[in-house]
This record gives sequence, structure tokens and C-alpha cells, in this order.
Amino acid sequence: MVTNYLINGPITQKVISCFLEKMGEKTDSGGHSVFLGQVRADEINGKKVTAIEYSAYEGMVMVEADKIKATILSEFEDAKSIDIVHSTGIVKAGELSLFVLVSAGHRHQAIHACSKTVELIKEKLPVWKKEIFDDDSHEWKR
Amino acid sequence: MKVKVLFFGVLAEVTGTNFKHFRDVKSIGDLKLRIQDDFPEVVHYNYRISLNNEIINNDPKLKDGDEVALMPPFAGG
Repeated sequence: MVTNYLINGPITQKVISCFLEKMGEKTDSGGHSVFLGQVRADEINGKKVTAIEYSAYEGMVMVEADKIKATILSEFEDAKSIDIVHSTGIVKAGELSLFVLVSAGHRHQAIHACSKTVELIKEKLPVWKKEIFDDDSHEWKR
Repeated sequence: MKVKVLFFGVLAEVTGTNFKHFRDVKSIGDLKLRIQDDFPEVVHYNYRISLNNEIINNDPKLKDGDEVALMPPFAGG
């Protein structure tokens, strides 16, 4: 269940479907742009990433995600709505940890607003990643 | 008076805790010294400080019930 932009564990197809099902209600939108962030099985110093453990400052995520949405709606006049979901807890390589959906009147603003939203999430959202390797060691991602 | 300090990311790991309460601290500067006394390893890490969910860059006074977070560089998305 998504609570204040966060979900425990990976973002599943079911969660994504719930958001996509509502797109039809946005009859003022002509374009929807989706970004899905996935955990990548990076290889670092001979060790392979098997999962990432995400942690978040939940109260501040709410504040900052609201600010990101306000910024995007202000900067992109044609943007109608923004949905953001970020994982906390363990997400395995190949699973999804970030979902962004931007609806706009036209495709150009949908695409660019979605891209800007992702960049602001990476810059502003108080979330931390611990990479877990195949030898059970871990490293905090910067 | 009592403030709650939250530790995130690598700081939660090196301090061994997600939070600690500190009593009778007047300001952020005062609080930082008290944190370093209890958790000397914190000085080796870069972090920003938030006060009640807002990042701060100055040395405001603290009041009872304030929530302070020590936040290493974000790595979301």
C-alpha cells in the first residue's frame, strides 16, 4: 500500500496498474509519461549488487514530494497531475523502486515534466540506498 | 526541554541507532557538540541538518519537541 509517496518493498505491476487505470479519468490530458526506476545488478570491485535497501525520512519525504509537485505544475503550464511512488526496504535487482507518472495536455510537456520530476526526486527526496552484494557485504551509495 | 535527533543512512549504522533524545540543548550548534560527544564517529561524515522537516544552514534556537535530522547526501531515485 502506498502511504505518503512511499511503499515498503518493490513497486509491483499491481501498484502501477492502479495508477494507469486512473489515467482515463484525466480527460483534459492528451499525454502521460511514465518513468520506472529499477535496481540494477551493478558489478563493483568484483562483487555484484543483488539488492538495494532503501531508507527514508518519511515526514520530510511528504514535504519535499509536495514541493516537487508544486514546482513541476508551476514550471510546466500544461502539466495536469504528477504521481510519485518510491520504495523503502529491500528491492532486489530487476525489481522496481521508483514510479513517476506525469499527465499533461500534450506530449512534449508530459515527457519533459516527467524527466524534470525524476531529477528533482534524485536531488531533493530524503532517501538513502544501501547496496547489498552477492557476498552479503554492503555499501552505502552516494 | 527535550529534542529528538534522527540519524539516517550511514549515520544510523555508525551510531547504532535511528534516534536519540537530547535534553536541555539551546541551539543547533549546542546540539552538534552534544552529538559529537556521544557519537564521535559522526565527525567523519558529511551531512545536512533539518529542523522540523526543513533543511537549515544557520544556528537556530531549539525548543521542546523539536525534531532534528542528520542526513547524509541523498541517494533516492
